[in-house]
Amino acid sequence: MSTLESLLPVKPMSFAPATPTFLQWQGWQQYYALWLGVLSILSLLAVWWVVSTLQVVSPLFLPTPLAVWDKFVVVSTTGFMDATLWQHTLASLQRILIGLVFAVVLGVPLGLWMGCSKVFKGLLDPLVEIYRPIPPLAYLPLLVIWFGIGEVTKVLLIFLAILAPIIIATAHGVLATSTSRKRAALSLGASPQQLLAYVILPSALPSILTGIRIGLGAGWSTLVAAELVAATRGLGFMVQSAAQFLVTDTVILGILVIALIAFAIEMALRQLQKHLTPWYTQCD
Amino acid sequence: MSTDLRVEHLSVHYPEQPLPALDDVTLSIGRHALTVALGASGCGKTTLLNVLAGFVKPSTGTVTLNDKVLTQPSAERAVVFQDDALLPWLNVLDNVAFGLRLQQVPKAQASAQAQEALQLVGLAGFEQANIWQLSGGMRQRVGIARALAVRSEVLLMDEPFGALDAFTRATMQQLLLKVWHHTQQRIFLITHDIEEALVLATDLVLMTPRPGRIQQHLTLTFNQRWLQGEPLRSIKSDPQFIELREQLLESLTPKEALLEKA
Repeated sequence: MSTLESLLPVKPMSFAPATPTFLQWQGWQQYYALWLGVLSILSLLAVWWVVSTLQVVSPLFLPTPLAVWDKFVVVSTTGFMDATLWQHTLASLQRILIGLVFAVVLGVPLGLWMGCSKVFKGLLDPLVEIYRPIPPLAYLPLLVIWFGIGEVTKVLLIFLAILAPIIIATAHGVLATSTSRKRAALSLGASPQQLLAYVILPSALPSILTGIRIGLGAGWSTLVAAELVAATRGLGFMVQSAAQFLVTDTVILGILVIALIAFAIEMALRQLQKHLTPWYTQCD
Repeated sequence: MSTDLRVEHLSVHYPEQPLPALDDVTLSIGRHALTVALGASGCGKTTLLNVLAGFVKPSTGTVTLNDKVLTQPSAERAVVFQDDALLPWLNVLDNVAFGLRLQQVPKAQASAQAQEALQLVGLAGFEQANIWQLSGGMRQRVGIARALAVRSEVLLMDEPFGALDAFTRATMQQLLLKVWHHTQQRIFLITHDIEEALVLATDLVLMTPRPGRIQQHLTLTFNQRWLQGEPLRSIKSDPQFIELREQLLESLTPKEALLEKA
């Protein structure tokens, strides 16, 4: 027996019962990632606070957290560039919402069609794959030439950023629908339309929601680019014009608000996904 | 007029495959039969089931039910799959009523019929449960109930118990027999499990690969004994059962493998 054991690359482990301390550690581990996240954010804030308060860097470049908070109060109440923080935020949210609605209304049917028809997929796939990797800033000037400097161009830019992920995710969701699920429905008498509405579309829903999540992330990051063009309101515009006047505290404030909203959108969509498609994480 | 489900001179050639998946298969499945197609992988039993269901078109030959040629899937031939193929966004009752709702049966009537089917498979009380909360065996029961609820002419079962553990499998086999006995539902089931085929079938069709053909057709009565309460252990130790099992095993073992042993 002992000679056999010595042949093994690793000695067999003895199965000692888990000690209580080990179990306690496991319970704590559930929140491990959360605590680490909080810790790293607090450390960043602390470094910022120390560096700016000691004036290691000139306040012109790095204002203190307190200065940014004061700015928050001022911009929220009296405003910056003829609009309060809320009006800037609202302008940005409105643009992204309109872009999102159009992207879903167009992208989901196109994706469904791509998933159902090989011919249509063959035709549309190259177009999507060509435009998708282009940075939105690269085709922004072209959009300005074509559509002017109004709201249309801004919304269009965001729309295009959201569209591609939604089309791709929807088509993927359709193609990933299990064959036996589709065949079972057909053998229960489903017509092609019923198959699409009651089997394929719900099967693709988790994937579609993931597409929307990715798309909104992409759309939100093109926001600043969109608001570079002749905007008078919007978070991107606020950051950009504050930078031109070296109002660094407003720049930081704008960036923080943009980050917070992106985080809130992501969390809300995850909740929505959990609520709408509870089976997605819990079976197959 | 014949009420049989008839397969006549059926052949299926898949493109880019030298040998036909099915070669000149003729079979007749009676109104109350429990026909089991037994064979190793590649013998064409899945193709046969897919043709019966209407998922695969025959290259030559015909499939007829009540003297009518079948060409596409319909609710006359409900299919139960190995992976349950249920719809996780619907609860158990709505899954079972799904086929009826597709046929525009009013909701109240569909629910009543679904309830009845759930009772048959022993899942009364689980109507509101979510699919992802059920065990593999329970999901398979829902799959069977869903197919029963539409009261199809024939139930096609594609290795329905292949993914279940041994204990659950025996329970499910017995359940299937009871349901079959009670509903007089015609069933066509495919499997590669010899004992499963022997204890379930009234008609056993032995299939061999390259090309897929029916090699032997047996009429069996072991399932009657199980239904009448004889323990499975005693059926399986019957010399007649053992002899048939060994004979089938030999037919199913590829000839190359036998040569290697010799």
